[in-house]
Amino acid sequence: MKQQILTLAIESSCDETSAAVVRNGREVLSNIISSQIDVHKVFGGVVPEIASRHHLDNINQVVDQALLESGMTLDDMDMIGVTYGPGLVGALLIGLSTAKAFSLAKGIPLVGVHHLQGHISANYIEHPDLEPPFLALIVSGGHTSLVDVSGYNEMKVIGGTRDDAAGEAFDKVARVLGLGYPGGPLIDRLAKEGNKDAVPFKRVYLEKGSRDFSFSGTKTGVLNYINSEKQAGREINKADVAASFQQAVMEVIVGKAVEAARDLGRDKIVLAGGVAANSCLREMLTEACHEQGLKLYCPSLLLCTDNAAMIGCAAYYRYQEGLVDDLTLDAVPGLPLGSV
Amino acid sequence: MQLLTIETTGASASVALSDQEGNLTLEISSDRMNHLQNLMTMIQSVLEKRSLQIGDVTAIAVSEGPGSFTGIRIGVSAARALAQALSLPVIPVPTLQSFVYQEPSGENFIVSPLFDARRSQVYAGAYRLANPDEREELASDGGILPVVEGKAWDVREYLARLAEEADREVRFYGDGTGAYEKEIMECIETLAGRGIRGSIAKPEHRFQRADSVGMLGMERMIAGKMVNYGQVKPVYMRKAEAERKLEEACQK
Ligand SMILES: [Zn+2]
Repeated sequence: MKQQILTLAIESSCDETSAAVVRNGREVLSNIISSQIDVHKVFGGVVPEIASRHHLDNINQVVDQALLESGMTLDDMDMIGVTYGPGLVGALLIGLSTAKAFSLAKGIPLVGVHHLQGHISANYIEHPDLEPPFLALIVSGGHTSLVDVSGYNEMKVIGGTRDDAAGEAFDKVARVLGLGYPGGPLIDRLAKEGNKDAVPFKRVYLEKGSRDFSFSGTKTGVLNYINSEKQAGREINKADVAASFQQAVMEVIVGKAVEAARDLGRDKIVLAGGVAANSCLREMLTEACHEQGLKLYCPSLLLCTDNAAMIGCAAYYRYQEGLVDDLTLDAVPGLPLGSV
Repeated sequence: MQLLTIETTGASASVALSDQEGNLTLEISSDRMNHLQNLMTMIQSVLEKRSLQIGDVTAIAVSEGPGSFTGIRIGVSAARALAQALSLPVIPVPTLQSFVYQEPSGENFIVSPLFDARRSQVYAGAYRLANPDEREELASDGGILPVVEGKAWDVREYLARLAEEADREVRFYGDGTGAYEKEIMECIETLAGRGIRGSIAKPEHRFQRADSVGMLGMERMIAGKMVNYGQVKPVYMRKAEAERKLEEACQK
């Protein structure tokens, strides 16, 4: 039996082109992330065609750099892990086409990974002691989900967003406040100077017992508030609006996550996704978990963003259970989680 | 010497494996627009038919565009990654020019591929294979003579230009022959007025294919037009729509 399994992982589902080399699932030898945020800023959001073009421009160089930094070559790799959904189809296919060509050229297994399974796995890299079962809270630009994780490859989505993801609502509010793009970090920064109780924006819990999220009502509330203040000729305190909006959104997310963990008898909550970098969310969740006697796991800021190391980790655990794909693997933009 | 050629810029993908002894194995997908799913198994299949391994390939030719943006990216990314993994040179092949090898005796007529780019636009160009006596000096470009420059054109503007420049029989190719059939028939009439024959290629020759891309690739390879995987660039011939809109807005 081989002493170590080396994975070359590739991620290109949205606007970061990333490649990583991971040893035995949890040890990151390199993790190169080429971000396109600056490219898309002028458009106020990710433009799919432009994202695809940039992924293609960058991908081979990103792979070369990941190999170089790991001190390994492509010949040392035992398997290829790659995100095949969900995401922008034109973006996904660059990583997938590249990964499949490597798999064919080197005769090594190809393992397709669900992007959110990757986000959850970022925590295995960060916390050597972490093992399933646990409740995962995924908050990112495109997702707000509660996932019951009972095994490395067994998971069930128990709550999701019914309209906008939290990240989308942040982008919209940031745009209206004239803060720019992406909205999450900008609102988070401004909110630190504001009063979170200044404006009582609506908390949307949906019907009793529901674990789903809806942020469009809260978002609309903010837009209406800004309009009516403008019409009344009153100056808006942007920091107060940002702090109050963020508080309204996070209170619901944290409340539902903690309740779900308690109901399911899980004693650990694992935070994942790009918005996991949000300081308000981290603080509120830390406090709530402490109160309820739950253990909280958060990835470092680098591992919160889209990166290939988390895909390499997830791919390793899929490979361990024989979940290998063939060369016809297709990009699935709306891939559901838990479809192992 | 084994040249692997990838063509994914049109509606059906194709892969060819050829050598200098004239052996050619071609695989054409029957699925339309399913290149990402099919490409690798098509490559495996041409290798199997010749009892070869991927390690036996010595160079990779790829159809660089124009064509479907997504298709171009699938082909270019696959060619690049194969070359990166196998340390092979790549020969980027201009898709429009590959049509000179679509049918034999290419020096006797002008090929005019038109790819539909929507809203009365086409990616088009007209070319002819040089005669043996013209060839010597043009050898470095696969012996291809441009008649009308290949780029994104307004379809009527392109056809008017072609009708002016053509000095011998013209044959039309590409998916633009369906989308702009009426305009092309008018052009054929204009040509007839000048005593020049014009026609739309038979369906089996009409669309881009890896064997003709590979033939031009072979010419270019012999001429030393090989590059490193990092230098293979897609040829879109058009900016992304969001970029164009932004530029327009800035100019106002
Ligand atoms: Zn993500």
